[in-house]
Amino acid sequence: MAKTRELRRRIRSIEKTRQITKTMEMVATSRLKRAQDRVVAARPYAQALADVLGDLYEPSLGERFPLLRAVPGPPRRVAVLGITSNRGLCGAFNANLIREIQSRALALEAGGCHVELHLVGRKGIGFFRFLGREITGQRQDIGDRPTLAHATELVTPLMTRFAAGELDAVEVVFAKFVSPLSTPPTVLPVLPIRRPADRTGRERNAAANAIIRPSVDELLATILPQYVRNQMFRALVETAAAEQGARRTAMKNATDSAGEMIDTLRRTFNRARQAQITQEIAEIVGGSEALRG
Amino acid sequence: MRVTVISPEHAVFDGEAEAVVAPAYDGEVGILPRHAPFLTLLGSGRLTVRTAGETKAFGVEGGFLQVVNDVVRVVAERADVE
Repeated sequence: MAKTRELRRRIRSIEKTRQITKTMEMVATSRLKRAQDRVVAARPYAQALADVLGDLYEPSLGERFPLLRAVPGPPRRVAVLGITSNRGLCGAFNANLIREIQSRALALEAGGCHVELHLVGRKGIGFFRFLGREITGQRQDIGDRPTLAHATELVTPLMTRFAAGELDAVEVVFAKFVSPLSTPPTVLPVLPIRRPADRTGRERNAAANAIIRPSVDELLATILPQYVRNQMFRALVETAAAEQGARRTAMKNATDSAGEMIDTLRRTFNRARQAQITQEIAEIVGGSEALRG
Repeated sequence: MRVTVISPEHAVFDGEAEAVVAPAYDGEVGILPRHAPFLTLLGSGRLTVRTAGETKAFGVEGGFLQVVNDVVRVVAERADVE
C-alpha cells in the first residue's frame, strides 16, 4: 500500500514538472520566432555596409584610419567581449559560450598577451566572478531585445581605446545563429576591421567609378564606426535568438523525458496495484477455504 | 529604379520608385532613375520616396546613400516611417 502511494505522489510531481517545461517550451518557441525575424531583418543593413566598405577599401587606408590598423606581430593587449544570457534553463548554451570565452582568453594569454574580459549576461559574469577573474566591463541589463543603442554603448569605449592604441585587438565571443538547432559559439574579430568579402566584379567596377561626396576619407570616417557598431549589434541579436532556440530544445527534451518517466512510473504503479489486488484475493480465498475446513 | 531604405533593425522600405529626395550631409539630393553611380554621406532629416501611387516619408539620421546600377540604397543608423 505504501509503495503505491509513493508512486502516485511521484507521478503527480513529474506531471507538474512536465506542465512547466511544456509551457516554457511554448514560450521559447514564440520568442524564438520573433528573435529569428529580427536576425533576418537585420541582414540587409549588414550586407549594405559590407558592400560599401568592400568598394571603398584599399590596403593603404590602414595608415590613415586607426580602426583599420593591424598591429604587426602578436597582439599585446586584447579585449575579449563575451556574450552570454541572463537566464538559465537553456541546456548547454551558456556553458558552451563560457568555455569558448575561456579558451579564447587562455589561448591569447599563452601568447604572452594581456586579456581584459568584458562580459554581457548574468551567466557569464557569475561564472568568471566565481573563478575570481578580473572582469573589466560587465552588463546584465541587455535582455531579449538588444538594440543598436546597447551595441553602441558596449563597443564605443573599446573603439576609442583601440584608436588610441591602448588595445591591439577587440574580439567578440557570441553564439552564431545558424539555425534554432545549431548555435555554435563563435569568435568574431571586430577590431582591427577586416576587409569584408568582395562582391562580384561588375558591380564593383560600377561602384568604383561612382561620384563620391564629400570624399572617401570622410565617408570612411562615418562608415567604419558604423560597421563596428553593427557587428556588435548583430552579435547581440544572434545570441538572443540562439538563446531562445537553445531553450526551446532544452525544454522539449525535458518535456519528453518527463513523459517517459511518467510512462515507466505508471507501469510500475499499475503492476504494484495489480499485485496488491491479487494478493488480497488470494488472502480472501485462503481465508474462506480455511473456514470451510 | 529599385529603392531600399535600411535601418540596423530592418528594411523600412523596399520597392520600385520614381524619385527619391534624401537629406545629404550638405543639403538635399534628388535621385531619378538612371542616375550615375553615386555615394554620399547622409545628414539627418526627411527622406521622401515617390512611388507610382504615393509619396512616402521617412525620418533618417546618419549613414549613407548609394546608387549602383539603378538601385538606390539608403543605409541609415536610424530610419522611421513618418
